Amino acid sequence: MRFGFLCKERGGARGRVAIVGAGPAGLAAAGYLACQGYEVDVYDKLPYPGGMMMFVIPSFRIPRDSIVEGVEDLEKRLSVKFVLKTKVFEGDDRHDEGDDFVERRVPLSKLVEEYDVVLITTGTWRSRSMGIEGENALGVVPALEYIYRWWLYEAKLTNEKPFIAKRVVVIGGGLAAIDAAEVALKRGAEEVFLVYRRTIREAPAGEYEIRRLVREGVNWIELAQPKRIVVENNVARGVEFVRMRLGEPDESGRPRPVPIPGSEFVIEADLVVPAIGEEPTPPMKSEVLGIKLDKRGRIVVDHEYRTGNEKVFAAGDVVTGPSMVGRATGSGLRAARAIDRFLRARLRTG
Amino acid sequence: MRTLRVINYDACIGCYTCEEVCRFLHEDRAYIKLYDVYGGLRKPISCFHCYTAPCVYACPTGAMHKDRDGATVVDPRRCIGCTCCIAACPFGIPELTPLGYVTKCDLCSDLRKQGLDPGCVAMCPAKAISWGSMEKVVESIRKRFLAKIMAPTIESVRETG
Ligand SMILES: Cc1cc2nc3c(=O)[nH]c(=O)nc-3n(C[C@H](O)[C@H](O)[C@H](O)COP(=O)(O)OP(=O)(O)OC[C@H]3O[C@@H](n4cnc5c(N)ncnc54)[C@H](O)[C@@H]3O)c2cc1C
Ligand code: SF4
Ligand code: SF4
Ligand code: SF4
Repeated sequence: MRFGFLCKERGGARGRVAIVGAGPAGLAAAGYLACQGYEVDVYDKLPYPGGMMMFVIPSFRIPRDSIVEGVEDLEKRLSVKFVLKTKVFEGDDRHDEGDDFVERRVPLSKLVEEYDVVLITTGTWRSRSMGIEGENALGVVPALEYIYRWWLYEAKLTNEKPFIAKRVVVIGGGLAAIDAAEVALKRGAEEVFLVYRRTIREAPAGEYEIRRLVREGVNWIELAQPKRIVVENNVARGVEFVRMRLGEPDESGRPRPVPIPGSEFVIEADLVVPAIGEEPTPPMKSEVLGIKLDKRGRIVVDHEYRTGNEKVFAAGDVVTGPSMVGRATGSGLRAARAIDRFLRARLRTG
Repeated sequence: MRTLRVINYDACIGCYTCEEVCRFLHEDRAYIKLYDVYGGLRKPISCFHCYTAPCVYACPTGAMHKDRDGATVVDPRRCIGCTCCIAACPFGIPELTPLGYVTKCDLCSDLRKQGLDPGCVAMCPAKAISWGSMEKVVESIRKRFLAKIMAPTIESVRETG
């Protein structure tokens, strides 16, 4: 992924830009801005750039050398500087997934002071919680964390053995659920259950991916919603589900699943992986420095990717909510172009 | 030179990067687009830059033509929007803009002029799009195919270690 694909050499623009978050949105923006000539520093809490592409999406989908080549090109040819293992946050810290490597903390306000512009592209590094009994028991591991730990272990970034289990229940119907089920299957689980509250037709991961996993040996159970985690001595032993039927369409246009009373059943498991979605992780808990968050925790921007703070822009999944690599890339590129326009206009008017 | 751009549909993960990058480069219009083929299985399609391009033959004004690298490109100043190329293309590639001329993938003319790779090629995270001289591209496809059919053999040697 050659993030600096737009130029042979750096251009002549002057100014310093800090990018917080080195996922596809941040890296695409870094490439664009470095090509224009800006000095670009990219901050990330992880030990290597790439975001989800490097640490979460399975390497049989995105070959890691593709990311490494693009990052090295940014560093060597376009002098982009990476400040890694550094969490940028304003106010009291919040624990997000992927925080294990953080060695330094930098307040966002410090970057806003030191740079001409700050672009926030921090993605969605928190698994949504299910809000049911027993969720905090041992043996309940959110999908993001589960996949990411395996990857760290296999890349030898940690010696800590990841979660190994014989019977795994994955709850959800999106990409994270698919990847978690596949990781479980490939890492020696004997039985893997993938349970979703609607049907295969509504599953965000799509019928194709689910059928592919079923062929690989995953047990697909639809129209079931978790009610509670069955816990013994603070260790998860299984999940109690209730059967659902499809009702009237909800706000999303998909039929709303409705529980069928008295239809409860238990699937025994020694590992439960909730994968019901990720939440935005902006570098603040609530409105700060004029940067506003919406009800779902996403950073609010205008059509030019500007936040409420004149010097701060935001792009990628932290603005849109969970999307796809391409959508985040496009958003990062457009934000970078807006930043370039903003800085050039400011230069002209002094 | 005869240039080829080939998509490896096995490697493509349907991530929309090619489409978004192309849209960014071309005033909000994407010349490579993903379609849902079956239940969330999405793949991109774009111009094949055919050697004997039916769109070029069908074009009455010469607007649709081949450039130096062999890319099929439209000169909007000569295009009269008759849509003959759209009818002639077997793959539904050229599109008519609201302004009445036809557009399509130009293999990123602007980037090629600067000696750079087309946007979709450079940015695909799965390295699924290759581009270059005919020799280079067919060689890479042949090698990929050989690696695929020899994979079990190589694997068994590795296992015996
Ligand atoms: C399990 C899973 C599988 C997926 N599979 C696919 C797929 O197959 N195809 C596809 O197209 N998309 C897939 N996606 C979606 C895709 O990964 C995202 O849409 C995309 O990565 C978003 O890009 P981004 O740049 O906005 O954020 P991210 O890629 O999330 O990057 C954000 C970066 O910000 C850093 N960061 C966060 N907070 C801070 C902080 N406070 N300080 C410093 N750094 C911080 C993070 O470490 C990270 O590097 C998948 C997502 C998941 C969860
Ligand atoms: S960028 Fe590559 S992997 Fe993504 S959709 Fe396009 S061809 Fe497929
Ligand atoms: S527009 Fe259609 S006919 Fe013309 S070169 Fe492209 S694929 Fe071939
Ligand atoms: S070569 Fe350029 S114009 Fe053609 S599809 Fe790719 S990005 Fe678009």
